[in-house]
Amino acid sequence: MTAEARAGAITPDGGRARLPDESGVAVAPDGVRLAWESFGAGDPTIVLLPSAPIVHARQWKGQIHFLSRSWRVIAFDGRGNGRSDRPTDPGAYHDDRFTEDISTVMDATGTASAVLVGLCVDGVWRAIRLAAEHPERVRGIVAFSVGVPRLAPAQPHYVDASAHFDEELPSSEGWAKMNRHHWLRDYPDWAEFFFSEITSEPHSSKAIEDAVGWSLDTSVEVMLAERGADFPFDTDSVEAICRSVTCPMLLVHGTEDTCQLPARAERLAELTGAPLVLVEGADHMIPGRHPVLANLLIRDFVRGLAPNPTRPGDSR
Amino acid sequence: MVPAADRGRRRSAAAPGQEEDALIADRRGPASEGTRPRQPDARGLVDRGGGGGVAWEAFGAGEPPIVFVPPWQIVHSRVWKMQVPDFARRHRVVTWDARGNGRSDRPLDPALHSVRARAADLGAVMDAAGLASAVLVGLSGAGRVMVAFAADHPERVRGLVFVCPGSPFGQSDRGDVDFEAPLESDEGWNKENLPFWRRDFRAYLEFFFAEAFPEPHSTKVREDAVCWGLDTDPESLAATVRAPTDVDLAGLTDMCASIRCPSLVIQGTDERISHVTQGIGLARAIPEARLLLLDGAGHVPNARHPVTVNLAIRRFIDELEGTDR
Repeated sequence: MTAEARAGAITPDGGRARLPDESGVAVAPDGVRLAWESFGAGDPTIVLLPSAPIVHARQWKGQIHFLSRSWRVIAFDGRGNGRSDRPTDPGAYHDDRFTEDISTVMDATGTASAVLVGLCVDGVWRAIRLAAEHPERVRGIVAFSVGVPRLAPAQPHYVDASAHFDEELPSSEGWAKMNRHHWLRDYPDWAEFFFSEITSEPHSSKAIEDAVGWSLDTSVEVMLAERGADFPFDTDSVEAICRSVTCPMLLVHGTEDTCQLPARAERLAELTGAPLVLVEGADHMIPGRHPVLANLLIRDFVRGLAPNPTRPGDSR
Repeated sequence: MVPAADRGRRRSAAAPGQEEDALIADRRGPASEGTRPRQPDARGLVDRGGGGGVAWEAFGAGEPPIVFVPPWQIVHSRVWKMQVPDFARRHRVVTWDARGNGRSDRPLDPALHSVRARAADLGAVMDAAGLASAVLVGLSGAGRVMVAFAADHPERVRGLVFVCPGSPFGQSDRGDVDFEAPLESDEGWNKENLPFWRRDFRAYLEFFFAEAFPEPHSTKVREDAVCWGLDTDPESLAATVRAPTDVDLAGLTDMCASIRCPSLVIQGTDERISHVTQGIGLARAIPEARLLLLDGAGHVPNARHPVTVNLAIRRFIDELEGTDR
């Protein structure tokens, strides 16, 4: 399969630790093209879910080369960034579309079932939805920086900023940068601010620079379209969906998460019975900022799923 | 980590008959030691008579042994933190703190900090650690010390790895700054000045290590290094600056020409402490020395690019063993 690369450029991939063995483009039911790559071999397949559209599949650069030594790993650019299409209609960013995209990529890559690994709302919530709606396709979920809307209050700075998102504000300091007019004036300034805030550990300059670079690979029009999509569930529905998940899950959340309060992870643990690893001092970007920890947690979780000692890739 | 306020001055001499390990264990580690991935298997204090003690540590087992030779006392042996746990898996690894920092004493007599004095310390540490011979790996100012030692004791040196060595065989683009007299300006390298050190030693260290680590995303290693610098003090470090020259250009040239063991110079191209040509010049002065240029690397690639440097050293040692046996 040949990837139909998008016309729009994205930042250079840099020296990638591992190049894909296969790549291709999956087409979602609404026609949006999704670029995917697959690495390595070994059961179960691990699908790394995108935090789209603010970043693309390179967010998993610290995981792919490690996990693909033992398992088949699939990463894809979510709609709105990377080599995937970038619709600017808010309808294209409905929660259902993002959830559907996971099955679209799994179908295109011949993946009947997989372990899903995700970060924040885009990764965690959509993985939960897919597991609830199509349990046969999800062998397990590793959920970093648990972003499940409605389970517990949002961070106060999001609540404030969202209330005034469309207004012209007198200041563009701090979280006031999360504002339609500021984005249109200076989207890179927002990206720099946002990733610095949610990667607050000392010595994070590289992780921040990477994430800002990926976020500049999309456009402010895409970001505004995505913000325009409403979240279609109330708290009771969200909780019911979470409770209905039957596959094994591992929750990983930083105690200093600036994006998602640990209360959401604690509530998800109560609803699902999944173990929760609280990472002392960590902020939101755990896979990017603490890759060794993240990789070992994923590895141990996947090993625990498949006790067959002769499975490919397991050398111990 | 020991709070700075709790750190006593180090005692200066061994009590007769006392176990070396008990003696060194009594010395509190530097404040900035942090959490070490590997603890030493042996350690000791070499009594240099009136010059105080030189503290060493040994890790692991395996041939050939590797001695990491300290650079300027602006840092101590923790500058090898990215090498010790890696090489100690396969080799006996010995590190030591040059007198003036770390667990060693801080004699103020400049004569104790000359190249020959430090080469003598290297021999004394190898004796204490029970090493007849070893591969020597040294950073920056360790270069001259290693050359002097290898020239005088070729039978004790199985290979030489110089990381960004300072040498008189290249240019310098740092002007002559008066070290002793107060200066009108504190800009740039004017901070390398004792009156300034006495006023704001940390500001000097922050400047120095920003120059030493010019690579992007170096905040952690700069922070580490500033802490290692704060483990010494302006007066102790001034004594090292005032060290007399007992190996001159002609002497060093002859010593280099006499070296017969395999040698490798690892040199960063974004060198801002010595000058890239100093490493290149040293590689030319030593017969058949190899030169590895690291594009874009600064003065301390063993700390900033440890994987690259460790693999280069490993390859050097593997080839050495191939020819040695």
